[in-house]
Amino acid sequence: MTDSAIATNPAQAAAASAVAPKLTVRDLHFYYSGFHALKGISMDIPEKKVTAIIGPSGCGKSTLLRIFNRIYAIYPKLEAKGEIVLDGENILDPGYSMNRLRGKVGMVFQKPVPFPMTIFENVAYGIRHHEKLSKTDMTARVEQALRSAALWDEVKDKLKQNALGLSGGQQQRLCIARAIALKPEVLLLDEPTSALDPIATSRIEQLIEELKSQFTIVIVTHNMQQAARVSDLTAFMYMGELIEFDQTEKIFTKPGRKQTEDYITGRFG
Amino acid sequence: MSSPYLRRRITNALAMVMSTLATLVGLAFLAWILWETLRQGISALDLKLFTKITAYGESGGLANAMVGSLIINFIGIAIATPIGVLAGTWLAEYADRTRLGESIRFLNDILLSAPSIVMGLFVYTIIVLPTTVLTHGSTTFSGFAGGVALALIALPVIVRTTDEMLRLVPSTLREAALSLGVPQWKLTLQILIRAARSGIITGVLLALARISGETAPLLFTAFGNNYMAINPIEKMSSLPQIIYQYANDPGDAMHALAWAGAFVITMFVLLLSLASRLILSRTKVSHD
Amino acid sequence: MNTGTDHIIKSYDSELTRLTGEIVRMGELSVIQLEAAIDVLERRDERAAQRVVGNDDAIDQLEQEIGHDVVRLLALRAPMAGDLRNVYAALRIASDIERIGDYAANVAKRSIPLSMVAPVAPVGGLRHLAELAADEVRDVLLAYNERDADAAYQVWKNDVVLDEAYTGYFRQLLTYMMEDPRNITPCTHLLFMAKNIERIGDHATNIAENVWFQVVGEPLNKQRSKGDFTSSPEMTKLGDKPE
Repeated sequence: MTDSAIATNPAQAAAASAVAPKLTVRDLHFYYSGFHALKGISMDIPEKKVTAIIGPSGCGKSTLLRIFNRIYAIYPKLEAKGEIVLDGENILDPGYSMNRLRGKVGMVFQKPVPFPMTIFENVAYGIRHHEKLSKTDMTARVEQALRSAALWDEVKDKLKQNALGLSGGQQQRLCIARAIALKPEVLLLDEPTSALDPIATSRIEQLIEELKSQFTIVIVTHNMQQAARVSDLTAFMYMGELIEFDQTEKIFTKPGRKQTEDYITGRFG
Repeated sequence: MSSPYLRRRITNALAMVMSTLATLVGLAFLAWILWETLRQGISALDLKLFTKITAYGESGGLANAMVGSLIINFIGIAIATPIGVLAGTWLAEYADRTRLGESIRFLNDILLSAPSIVMGLFVYTIIVLPTTVLTHGSTTFSGFAGGVALALIALPVIVRTTDEMLRLVPSTLREAALSLGVPQWKLTLQILIRAARSGIITGVLLALARISGETAPLLFTAFGNNYMAINPIEKMSSLPQIIYQYANDPGDAMHALAWAGAFVITMFVLLLSLASRLILSRTKVSHD
Repeated sequence: MNTGTDHIIKSYDSELTRLTGEIVRMGELSVIQLEAAIDVLERRDERAAQRVVGNDDAIDQLEQEIGHDVVRLLALRAPMAGDLRNVYAALRIASDIERIGDYAANVAKRSIPLSMVAPVAPVGGLRHLAELAADEVRDVLLAYNERDADAAYQVWKNDVVLDEAYTGYFRQLLTYMMEDPRNITPCTHLLFMAKNIERIGDHATNIAENVWFQVVGEPLNKQRSKGDFTSSPEMTKLGDKPE
């Protein structure tokens, strides 16, 4: 498929025009050590909606997510070309401050990775880097973040305990609290429940539902049911290309492309 | 039972018997060594071993050697730890997968297996000889020089363990911190070293265990001293060296002292190993 | 939707195929029932009519099996997209066929009182209606089996023929009833039977709509001309409403 094919896809235009875009991806290419991992991705990610990215392993969905906060830049030999416009500015511009970007775009990873410190410190650590807060302000801020992440009631009596003592689901919610404590505008979730049991997964999904009034959320998931449950829009990627991007309801009831249909109905050979 | 299953069971039983035997042989020698050092040294294991110095010979103890060993080991570890941890951090965090990093890692591995007497001769050449010349012979061999020699032995051990431990920290922890906008130096010092802390401490303790038994590098550096020496610029005695010296003595009482010294070192190393095990198991960082 | 490739999980395919097979079988049964009902009417065979009425249980049974299979598929396979529409359509089509079976049984049931009075002339006209309806059901089942939205649309559009035939038959019966009041009882029965057959056509168009949705993914939103004028003012002048 060519770039123009995506741009002229009427379904995509309809999906995008529904809400003002928060992130606009234009002709994004990505290479690592010569491998062409993303081939001209263009999409508008709407504000305060949940956008899910699905696709088989190696399709480039995680790669795309990792470009949104330029976390890929910590590894050598990686190169992104094209534009990702966040609030009118191209975040791929070398002049765009990494500090500012990471403050605006938070990320939660596949495995819960709390820092080896107390629960309180886990949340306070990131805030401290961006803002100087008084002790009372910091306490209030940490509480707010933990409440937003639906974790406060479970940890309020053990804020001084090591975060590694929490259960997997709690750790992941702590990581979400840590990310939203910085008051980002965009929240990137990279398969946030793949290491969790179904109950913990439901909690995170409920949390996503609650958080979308405040954040623009982009979630990469292998679980199609999860994409169907939590997202407003769904993008299907295959072999580094964006095959289809539309309202989630449409993708799961009447996808526009055969490749999407084959993937979501479990026909991929 | 059909023949392939029978054959597998026989092979299995055979392999189990062989490996169990091998383990038992290894353990038997270890127990034997511990037993021998205790049996031979028990007659000299008394209070005077810890209070009297070697100048009294047969009727003396090993007090100056123990103090010397502690000081020299302390100097060695004090030098090797900061350098080793920083170098290991550099290898793991800043030079990972670079040509320079790989070369240095390789050189460090060679250093790890270098004969310890080479370290002694090297320090003799770069410290003992120059100080002798500069001070016109008033300072020659010294506890400090011994410490430097031991530091050179401990250093590659600490570099290697720090490097390994930091590389065991999952990359997602790095990404998580960086995605909060935390700069690399803060990430390294405040998160990664903390996450790898128990492993690094274990590495240091293992290095200490390794150098506390070294004799050869001390012969040309600390030299030995029959009297109590606290000042590191003086010649200094050490347990392994006294053991070597007394073991060569024809007197049985001296032999007993040497065995007692050997027992003390063995116990010291054993305790260090146990301590490192304890640290590692208690504060294990699990990211699974 | 048959996209030409099989599912990675093979048993999923066989379950979906089985579902389609059950629908087709159920549809065939309903057509057989309809034809049998007309036969017993013409032969004035009361016992055969009882058998036709009793056979409707088999159709009801099949509908229950399909319902069970659909729930099972939804719960265990979580079908998506084309598969989801496939399963959803199967459920709806099954209930339409079940109604068709009921109407066929009704026709057979009414043939019993009819066989007890003297034969009336217009009985023969009912066969024509029934043949039109049976063709419609057969065609829509073929369209369903072939996943052919256009064929389904044709059936949907052609229902007007049955509607017109029904209106014509309705007028004919009214004339007979006005001619001779003794015809009123048998003709009323025939009137209800004709209405039942006309309803079978409506259910066939429902099925056509579901086939269309299953294949295309959108509801069938097209204008269709109506052929049933029996409730129009002109008709009510001639007599009472049929039901």
